[in-house]
Amino acid sequence: MTTQMDRPLSVPAADLIPPPRLRLSDPRTRATLRIQQTLVAGAREFLRGGGAVEMLHPIIGPVTDPGSRGAKQADIDFYGHKYKLMTSAILYKQASLLAFDRMFLIAPNVRLEPIETSSTRRHLAEFRQIDVEVALATRDDAMDLVEGLVRHAVSAVVNECAEDLAVLERDPGKLLAFVAEPFARIPHTEVVDKLRAGGYPQAAGTEIEWEAEELISRDADAPFFIVGYPKGSRGFYDKESPQEPGTLLNFDLIAPESCGELCSGSERESEYAKIITRMRETGENPSKYAWYLDVVRNGIPGSAGFGIGLERLTRWVAGLDSVWQATAFPKLAGVVSP
Amino acid sequence: MTYLNAPGFPEQDVRRRARDGAAAVFPPLEDYGTSVYGADSDRSARAGDDIDALRLVPPVFMPGRLAKLIDLGREPLYSDVALETGFGGLRSPLPVYVSALGSTRVASTTLAISRQAGRLGVPMIIGENVAPMNGFRSTGDEHRKGLLERVHAYVEELPDGLGGVVVQQSTEDANSEVWNHVYSDPAVNGLLATGRLAFELKTGQGAKPGLGGLTMVGEEAAPGLEEQYAIERLTQDGPVLRCSCPGTFTEEIFRQQIHLMRNNYPRARCWVKLFPGRDVGRAASVAWTAGADAVTVDGAEGGTGWAPTSFLQDVGLPLAECLRRVDAGAGTLLASGRVWNGSRAVKLLALGASAAGLGRAALVAVDEDPDRGLERLVGAVELEMKLIISALGKYATDEIGGEDLWAPSGWSSHEDT
Repeated sequence: MTTQMDRPLSVPAADLIPPPRLRLSDPRTRATLRIQQTLVAGAREFLRGGGAVEMLHPIIGPVTDPGSRGAKQADIDFYGHKYKLMTSAILYKQASLLAFDRMFLIAPNVRLEPIETSSTRRHLAEFRQIDVEVALATRDDAMDLVEGLVRHAVSAVVNECAEDLAVLERDPGKLLAFVAEPFARIPHTEVVDKLRAGGYPQAAGTEIEWEAEELISRDADAPFFIVGYPKGSRGFYDKESPQEPGTLLNFDLIAPESCGELCSGSERESEYAKIITRMRETGENPSKYAWYLDVVRNGIPGSAGFGIGLERLTRWVAGLDSVWQATAFPKLAGVVSP
Repeated sequence: MTYLNAPGFPEQDVRRRARDGAAAVFPPLEDYGTSVYGADSDRSARAGDDIDALRLVPPVFMPGRLAKLIDLGREPLYSDVALETGFGGLRSPLPVYVSALGSTRVASTTLAISRQAGRLGVPMIIGENVAPMNGFRSTGDEHRKGLLERVHAYVEELPDGLGGVVVQQSTEDANSEVWNHVYSDPAVNGLLATGRLAFELKTGQGAKPGLGGLTMVGEEAAPGLEEQYAIERLTQDGPVLRCSCPGTFTEEIFRQQIHLMRNNYPRARCWVKLFPGRDVGRAASVAWTAGADAVTVDGAEGGTGWAPTSFLQDVGLPLAECLRRVDAGAGTLLASGRVWNGSRAVKLLALGASAAGLGRAALVAVDEDPDRGLERLVGAVELEMKLIISALGKYATDEIGGEDLWAPSGWSSHEDT
């Protein structure tokens, strides 16, 4: 059993987020948004330099990433058909590999997360991802790419945003030190063992719990990857390891300083029969994925990819207390805001 | 008021209990001292039901009663039986819960069941197709109460520390994201904060094992449904039958769906409902190993739903055989199927269940009296259970076992099959 059950359920305070007239005129907000702009520009430069093509992806569609951890999807009445706002671009990313071997997008997502996420300091109901997919890539290739991208974007901020970092009292030297060394790659099982050894009752077959994630992030000296999450904790598109059935060929990038997860990625399932079976394992009815399955059935390349939470990355680089401070018009679970 | 029929079910007995409560546990009171009674003359009508055929058999020598005597310092009475119990992560004043009642008109007419189950503090399961058919919030239709209305009605009456709401989801309504909607809705904060929300993965139901949901819908609703459902036009102009897919399960699919439930809804209890299939024992074992807090089994004689008559008569294991095939020592087993009185409930406990589900009985009771029918029925069940359990020389529900049963044709328990 997970331990989350035993903790008090927190609900958000209605006045948690200041109104836009105060938020937008705050010099700290301005500095944060300029840093974010530089991070996006740095990511674009890095990815385009590696031959990836930037695409613009749908906001609505008949189906979206089923996601996990209890977030619900927002429905749209599309001329009598039930459409969804995108929770992630994963299905379109895989299909897009028919056009380009390397592609990326800066994609908006809407996930109506459980209300208790309003107190994790790292969840937003509306957020953007730097979404990348590369044909025929392995998990290691994808992690190399994440690492390179983060290092490049952080360096761009240090080089171009000295004044903004100063407004936020963020030490550029500390930032550069964080990305100086290669990021460690630690198996999920090892992280669970370590948490348990430290007295945290983390369940084995599930996601790293939110509180535990903050704990390991707080203790980290630099960003690091957790690799090989158990099947049953992620979507059907993360590929199962042929060598280690039950373990996925996926990863999360964990930032230091209690910021937690910045990025999730994986090698992808690309075989039709496996995808259908995995859909069932995640409780899905494959019929609603008709267009995607039609693409897959006719053949898509194997791939690996990831999505970096742009607001999360910004929060970490800018040294902010909470992810909502990394966006001009934040949407927190259960909080009514503009 | 009473348009509800429940063929093949001791409907009149249930109606009497819904009217008279505990008094209905006995023969009519006006006959007291003037009539003599033997065995149930109606028993032959229920022949064929293995559980009805069983008898509960108190022993002459009762070391358990001695232990209670020593504990109390006086001779124990039936009223000393403690029925309050926990199952599937929820507490209940007695080992009884209200089974899933679906979206059919019968179940939708009233919120009375929710209110009364809440008042009693017994856990209540909300049927898997309530949200897809009746909507999530209020529908404005008096006959189709949305899922949240049922939750509200239940919670308003619910005492502290007892009960809980169990929301089903099947393959078909994965499209409707029932659990995601419930889990993130402020309406369930109170239940979540007190660990009284559970989700139940539904693999099928007793009345039609191996089939998905069957719902009659108006012809006007049929266009647009054909993409998602199989549609049967049973008559020329009448309503059409909408048939849902049952969903495909293998051991690994089942296991991973349970893992994902636990992963996605860490604050909700995880229940699993099995239909009376021949591998029900294996399926229960997989569910418990994967982390399910409870497995509910519906016998082929159960179900409030609509099913082909051939399924009602010929398909699926009877509840007794299901219980024989499940090793209840391995986890929490809950059972339903024609439960309406205390003796059937105690028999199910003796066969390994931790609690018994009231399905049709709850519907009939509330149909008889929407204000108090279910409460009176449960009051009668409670009194009967206490009388029977004490007669067996036992004073807690978990003390009941196979030794308390006798079968005329030679009962074989799980251990010796």
